[in-house]
Parts: sequence; structure tokens; C-alpha cells
Amino acid sequence: MTDTAGLPRRIVKETQRLMAEPVPGISAIADESNARYFHVVVAGPDGSPFEGGVFKLELFLPEEYPMSAPKVRFLTKIFHPNVDKLGRICLDILKDKWSPALQIRTVLLSIQALLSAPNPDDPLQNDVAELWKVNEAEALRNAREWTRLYAGGN
Amino acid sequence: MGNCLKSQGSDDISLLQGGSDGNPAHQQSRSESYSSASPMNESQDHLPFYYPPPEGSHGNQVNEENQIRIAKRIGLIQNLPTGLYDGCKKNQESVSLDSICTCIICMVEFALEDPVRYLPCMHTYHKKCIDDWLMRRLACPSCLEPVDAALLSTFDTS
Repeated sequence: MTDTAGLPRRIVKETQRLMAEPVPGISAIADESNARYFHVVVAGPDGSPFEGGVFKLELFLPEEYPMSAPKVRFLTKIFHPNVDKLGRICLDILKDKWSPALQIRTVLLSIQALLSAPNPDDPLQNDVAELWKVNEAEALRNAREWTRLYAGGN
Repeated sequence: MGNCLKSQGSDDISLLQGGSDGNPAHQQSRSESYSSASPMNESQDHLPFYYPPPEGSHGNQVNEENQIRIAKRIGLIQNLPTGLYDGCKKNQESVSLDSICTCIICMVEFALEDPVRYLPCMHTYHKKCIDDWLMRRLACPSCLEPVDAALLSTFDTS
């Protein structure tokens, strides 16, 4: 059982709600020894090239949360114009558009949405974004291939 | 145990921290700017310690600019009306009960007599919660409405 002593009530509440009412296609479980660290699994959305894949992420709530955004990173390799080689995600709400009205839940939903709607015009991984723009068919093929190779998809 | 949790936490995000900045010198200058900003905050004894927004804190000159910015912002925030929470009945019609009775920042229900601050958009938060946020960004967390466009144009808040 995760020790919740000294943890802000907001984090306790969010953790409980994530367990009680999980978001479809997303699981987020607090680490046993660190209640601010979450093991996240996101299912590749249907109709996207990531469909069938299971993507692991890590999410960390910094000391200043909810005044600053959670830190989230893909652990599973993914071919996506807004995710770089280290798994870092280019998503406005994780940077300058963060608001304390957002939650772990809404962040993960946004990441799920980013998988459905890659945005090559705001790239983090330039070569991937470039391919996405000049040859989308090949980019989608690569994304499906990587999903099969690294995310256990078929 | 607290220490243990803390050090483990920083291990866990070492990659992430490297990711957001990657430059240890920059990290260093950030922490310097925090500490040099603190004496000014102490004079505002009724306000908690604020971290200046992290962007653009390189070197001493910017530290000074940051201090001025913090002072201006504290002045601006103090112009926003405050009060003691008097129950969640009066605005009940427009918004769901839950969102009126709970401070969306700390997710704790308002208790009678809690010090609260009212933003121009009519969203209400615990004073302590919203002041902390407004020092970072002058916009309502719920609707992202700028806190006061008229004041924003006279105070340099960028």
C-alpha cells in the first residue's frame, strides 16, 4: 500500500479516483514506494496507426504540483512527430498551457488524443515530422511497424 | 522516510528533468534567482513565499528584473477582491454544485469562513491556492480568462 502521509489531499483524491473510475484505455497506478510516481499504460486508440499497441509511460508529480504540470514520458518506443527519442512529449498543456484546473486524468486523455491526432506542424522529432508531412503513407506505415515491434501490437 | 521518498523521486525524474532543460548551469541559475528573490518576499509577511515563473532567469540583471516583476505582481494580485467563504448557495443555478463548493486547485471543499479570492470571471478559489498560481500566471485556472486586461496593460507582467 502506498504511504499517503504528508501527501497533498489533492494527490490522494486524484489517485483514488483514477483507481475507482479509470479512464477507458488508460491505466495509471501509483508506485508502491513513491506516491508521486505513476506507472501509466495507454492503449493505442482505434483507427490510429498505434491501434493494438500498449504504450508504457511514466508520470511524476513534481513537488510544486498542481502549480506546475506533471512530468510525463513515453517509456515504450513510438514513431510519432510529437514524441522524441527519449519519449519526451510535445504537448502545450505539459508546458506553457498548464493550469491547476487540469488533472492527471485530463493530461492522460490529452496524450491519448495526441496519438489519434499527431501534429507534425509542432514537431519534437523533426525527421519523423518531416516524413509525416512529405509522405504520410510511409509515416503511418512506420508508426504501425514500430507499434508492432515495440508496443506488442499486431 | 521523507528524505528517502524525496531522493527516490529525483532519481525517478532525472531523465525528465534533463529533458525539460538539459543544461545544469541553467538549473543552477534558477535556484540562485529563487534565493535572491526571497528577502523581498519576506517583507510581504502576510504572503507565502513565491517562486518566480521559471522562464528567463539568466544572470543577475534578470534577477533584478524578476524581483521588480514579483513586486508588481504582488501589488496587482492584492487589488483583486477577497472575502470569507459564506456557503455555496448563492450562485447555485449556473454551475454544478460540486464545482462551486470545491476549490478546483486543492480539490478540498470550501469551509465556511475560509479566506477566498474572487476573480473578475467570477471563479472563486482559496486565497492561498489562487495567489500561488497568479504569481506564476495571471489567468483563471478554470477559464483561462486573463485576470484583468486593463491592469495587465498598465503593469508589465510579461
